[in-house]
Amino acid sequence: MVQVSSYERPKNLDEALAALEVAGTVPMGGGTRLAALPGSGRVRVVDLQAAGLGGIQRRHEGKILIGATTTLDDLANSHDVPAAVREAARRERPSGLRTLSTVGGCVATAEVESELLATFLVFRASVRIASSSGASVVPLGDLLADPARRAGEVITHVEIETGGYATAARVGRTPSDTPIVAAVARRDPGGNVLVAFAGVATAPVLAESTEELVPPDDFRGSSVYRKSLAEILGQRVREAVK
Amino acid sequence: MSTIHLRLNGVDREIECEPGDNLLRVLRREGLTSVRFGSETGETGAAGVLLDGHLVSCDVLLAVKADGHDITTVESIDVARGELHPVQEALVETGAIQSGYSAGAMVLAAIALLEREPNPSEAQIRDAFSGILDRESGYVKTVEAVKRAAAVLRGEKPDPFLPLVVRPLTSAAGAVDTGVEDHVPAPETVPDAVPRIVPSPDVAATAVVGKSEPKVEALSLVKGKPVFTDDVELRGLLHAKVLRSPHAHARILAIDDSEARALPGVHAVVHHGNTPRVKYASGGQSAPNPYPWDQVSFDDRVRHVGDRVAAVAADTDAVAEEACRRIKVTYEVLPAVFDAAESKKPGAPVIHDEEDSLGIVDTTTNVSSHVEGSTTDDMEAALKAADRVFEGTFRLQRVAHCAIEPHVVVGWLDPDERLVIRTSTQVPFHVRRMIAPLVGLPVKQVRVVKPRIGGGFGAKQEMLIEDIVGHLVLATRHPVRLELTRDEEFEGSRIRHSQTLQFRSGVTTDGKLRALDLSVTSDTGAYGVHGFTVSSVTGLRALSSYNCPAKRFNCDVVYTNGLVAGAMRGYGAPQGVFALESHLEDVARALGLDPVEFRRKNWLHLGDRLDIAPRLGERGAVNDIAPEDLPQVASCGIEECVAQGLRAIGWERRDDPEWKRPHDRPEIRRGLGLALCVMGSGIPGVDMGGASIKINDDGSFNLLIGATDLGTGADTVVAQVAAEVLGVPLEDVIVYEADTDFTPFDVGAYASGTTYISGMAAKKAATVVAKRIAERAAAILGLDSPELVALHDRQAWAPDGRSVSLGEIAMRSLHLEEQEQIMGVASHLATESPSPFAAQLAEVEVDVETGQVTVSKFVTAVDCGVAVNPLTASGQVEGAVLMGLGYALTEEVVLDAHGKVGNPRLGPYWIYRSDDAPSMEVFLVQTMEPSGPFGAKAIGEIGVVGVAPAVRNAILGATGVALYETPFTPERVWRALRQADAAEPVAETSHNAPAATVS
Repeated sequence: MVQVSSYERPKNLDEALAALEVAGTVPMGGGTRLAALPGSGRVRVVDLQAAGLGGIQRRHEGKILIGATTTLDDLANSHDVPAAVREAARRERPSGLRTLSTVGGCVATAEVESELLATFLVFRASVRIASSSGASVVPLGDLLADPARRAGEVITHVEIETGGYATAARVGRTPSDTPIVAAVARRDPGGNVLVAFAGVATAPVLAESTEELVPPDDFRGSSVYRKSLAEILGQRVREAVK
Repeated sequence: MSTIHLRLNGVDREIECEPGDNLLRVLRREGLTSVRFGSETGETGAAGVLLDGHLVSCDVLLAVKADGHDITTVESIDVARGELHPVQEALVETGAIQSGYSAGAMVLAAIALLEREPNPSEAQIRDAFSGILDRESGYVKTVEAVKRAAAVLRGEKPDPFLPLVVRPLTSAAGAVDTGVEDHVPAPETVPDAVPRIVPSPDVAATAVVGKSEPKVEALSLVKGKPVFTDDVELRGLLHAKVLRSPHAHARILAIDDSEARALPGVHAVVHHGNTPRVKYASGGQSAPNPYPWDQVSFDDRVRHVGDRVAAVAADTDAVAEEACRRIKVTYEVLPAVFDAAESKKPGAPVIHDEEDSLGIVDTTTNVSSHVEGSTTDDMEAALKAADRVFEGTFRLQRVAHCAIEPHVVVGWLDPDERLVIRTSTQVPFHVRRMIAPLVGLPVKQVRVVKPRIGGGFGAKQEMLIEDIVGHLVLATRHPVRLELTRDEEFEGSRIRHSQTLQFRSGVTTDGKLRALDLSVTSDTGAYGVHGFTVSSVTGLRALSSYNCPAKRFNCDVVYTNGLVAGAMRGYGAPQGVFALESHLEDVARALGLDPVEFRRKNWLHLGDRLDIAPRLGERGAVNDIAPEDLPQVASCGIEECVAQGLRAIGWERRDDPEWKRPHDRPEIRRGLGLALCVMGSGIPGVDMGGASIKINDDGSFNLLIGATDLGTGADTVVAQVAAEVLGVPLEDVIVYEADTDFTPFDVGAYASGTTYISGMAAKKAATVVAKRIAERAAAILGLDSPELVALHDRQAWAPDGRSVSLGEIAMRSLHLEEQEQIMGVASHLATESPSPFAAQLAEVEVDVETGQVTVSKFVTAVDCGVAVNPLTASGQVEGAVLMGLGYALTEEVVLDAHGKVGNPRLGPYWIYRSDDAPSMEVFLVQTMEPSGPFGAKAIGEIGVVGVAPAVRNAILGATGVALYETPFTPERVWRALRQADAAEPVAETSHNAPAATVS
């Protein structure tokens, strides 16, 4: 288990970015994954809880800006975000962890089977990232496709569209199991249909078709099976948003 | 060191901590022991607290991150001495609290929910509890408790929480008027949490027995009192860590501990070089422990990943961990084998070639032990004589116990320098006997104390780590604490035996069983432990449910370099009964018989003989037994269990195409499945428990028992038995249990024996006390004979209605006249093991496109004799059912190619959460068992046994596809469905065995 050697709680983003310039420093949202980090080294953590990155704001053109330190529990209980996002946030973690886990942490850890990230993808999520050299906005799909996080960067917000209709389907060993594969579809107000998957690639992906997918293989589901699930569940959610 | 500011339980506090300390560690250091360790990754919720009013698992929360926040633990919910908050009250009265290890978190979760939502839906309640894993309950009582607490907090007054009395359905039980009217509410309209009682005219009225009494320790649990093993504070306490093998099989050529010893804060390092080599078997069983004796505290050989190499005691966990890293071990890595069938083959790596192990059947073929028993001299002839012969092969996986409280031991030397071991164990007396030779002390120099236990399920029917703590205490003369991590619970503890079972059966065309032949290969892993006895029980339970003239069992228990198997709830029965009940379902289908009627033609009745039982005994086969001496069924409610189960599950829908294929969900098939189970009550001729009772000045009693309550309610049940005899309410019996210095001996908690055996010991001891009370009462009341005295309502009564209180009798006897301590001591040896019976029924939905199976309802109707406490009895069944659903559908300890566990965390392993669990009903079919205390038999294990076959048979009913390997993961079901559908061949070969073949 990694050892935490120092802790800082910066009061704003600039302080956070300054603190992160020290080598071996990691930004922390809820910190619930800390114990599961591989290795036994020492890390310095910069806790973002006071850096002014919380809150959910309605923006122009129906967009919603979700602060990185918004907890999954806050997201699950927010009436500003689409119902599909609320439900995905609720499903993402059990009750005692959902209250700690943050949206930024969820994006940063980019778990293969994250239904919330797949849901963000169909709401055309973009991620705002700050670093000492300035701010940038990256489509969530691009960020997930390139998992290497650069040191010194902070995810500050996730922006999503709203509107349209979205639905999800999943397969697990039990009703609340982490999905082996999940599919989420959304018909946007313009009538375009977006479909995203979790559990079929190194991270959740938007995919027009499942042909190119090379799913991972583990004890919960072989690659062949996961691919089959992606086809079936993709078909189901597409039908449901027609 | 940092200083953090917390508003802790309403008080502003400044607390020092390290930046890496989690809040769990800090709160426990502050004495808030209600916050408990379950895992490093937060899923268990045992460390649940409120942070600014929200439930959080503080085992994953850095304490520094909580700086400036409001933290609430259950210690703050302390309304007054002896009183409870409505949430605590509701959790107790509904029986939602079993071990209570996570009770603090449960109370807080409910309070947080109800503050946000005063009238929550069931889904909201289940979601609120999704972060608190309960391996003990079925969650239905938790849901009910929160609903009732919500009502109370809204100002309503819910009706008392009482069992529902259900009208019997069969002539066996219903011929005599049981006083149950037809207009009682239908069970399906009553909350799942309410136990359904099916009364019997054979059962006499009682005052305390048969009542849903709250658990005697409930208050301490829901208030979060320091009652568990780790809840003690000792000056100078050292922390132990175990260095474990990274290799599945290796010789240790050298250990250099010099760097570890040189590390500041390290007090001792123990390993094979400095501890005695004493052979033992770690299974917690009566002396002499069954062979093989193939373990030593520390060996120069490791036989599985996670095997012990060395242990360190140091000032802190972190120093102990660092010291482990600094121990230099030179290994010679050896070839390893992980499959039991492979392990038996010539040329396989030999796992135990040491010369000093005792009782290994064949070291060269890795056969640890062998079990066989038969009621026939010629099985082949019996099969030949049958009209039809069927075969089926079944494979069952490795699963883990996952008690939320891990193995934890705190040891120290008392002022007389005796070794005290405070341990989370099911077998304190066995631990005392077994640890003594390993640490080189006589038994009298060892005291073992069992505090409250946070679940065991068989993993704690072991002397698992107590010897390590013993060695370290003696080496350092400091108190030493060792608590396993969750990883160690998976790799370094015990699991359920993986087995391959082959059934052959001979049947007449009209469905009478003529021959049952079962061959098993059982994987015991690196050590023999419980292998012999677990396998015996596999045979016993697979061959005891039905009458059949020819039965044979044959089993090799085989070493592999996999994880060490041991005792686990059901103890071999889940494997055997899965094979039996699946095989019989296939046979019924092949014969075109109704599966219930097929079973009915063959199942046991009152007076039938359990012919295989003596041939598969704990202490070897007894073959020369006269038919009239075979154990006989003296109470049997199977007929009524099946009738109640079929009605409750809606069996009539079974072949209704409208129901089976819902129009609005074309991918779904529905099905119903049944399995029967027959278990035992303790081990006859072996299991013994003692009880001691004394009267106090006010007519209350102290009851001292060696029995071991793991959270099951055993203390309460045993005390109810004593209270019934003594004529007092349960609250007048104060229970103290399982301290080898103070309480009488008891074998411990296993084999479902506590109610039956320890209950009978308490009944006998209470009878001694009652007799003496009656003698003194007769003298006071001027009666000719004490036999005229009746004890009830805290009084001793004369036939004419005069009475004297037990308090007055106590005062006279202790202080005023012919002073004496009225007391009684007794023990009970089980000479029989009466069978509880159960019918278990599953309703499933199968998504035939994805293979996902969802259990939508589960019904268990169980004959446990008289349910001494319907609340705890039904709670036992509900928890067992959920554990069984995990066995059927989700759980498997997966090993990689090198023998390392691939899923050593509760997240990927997945035990059922509150928001996974289906609707479930429990029927307690009352029968009068003449050999049990007030008619009681056993109930602790039976509920887990038939779940997997019931689910399997329901999937078969839904889809027509039979499964032969557990768990029924979505992929395994999907592959079986594809295999059955020739139009869609599967890309990879399936591991499933071929379907039952008809010869």
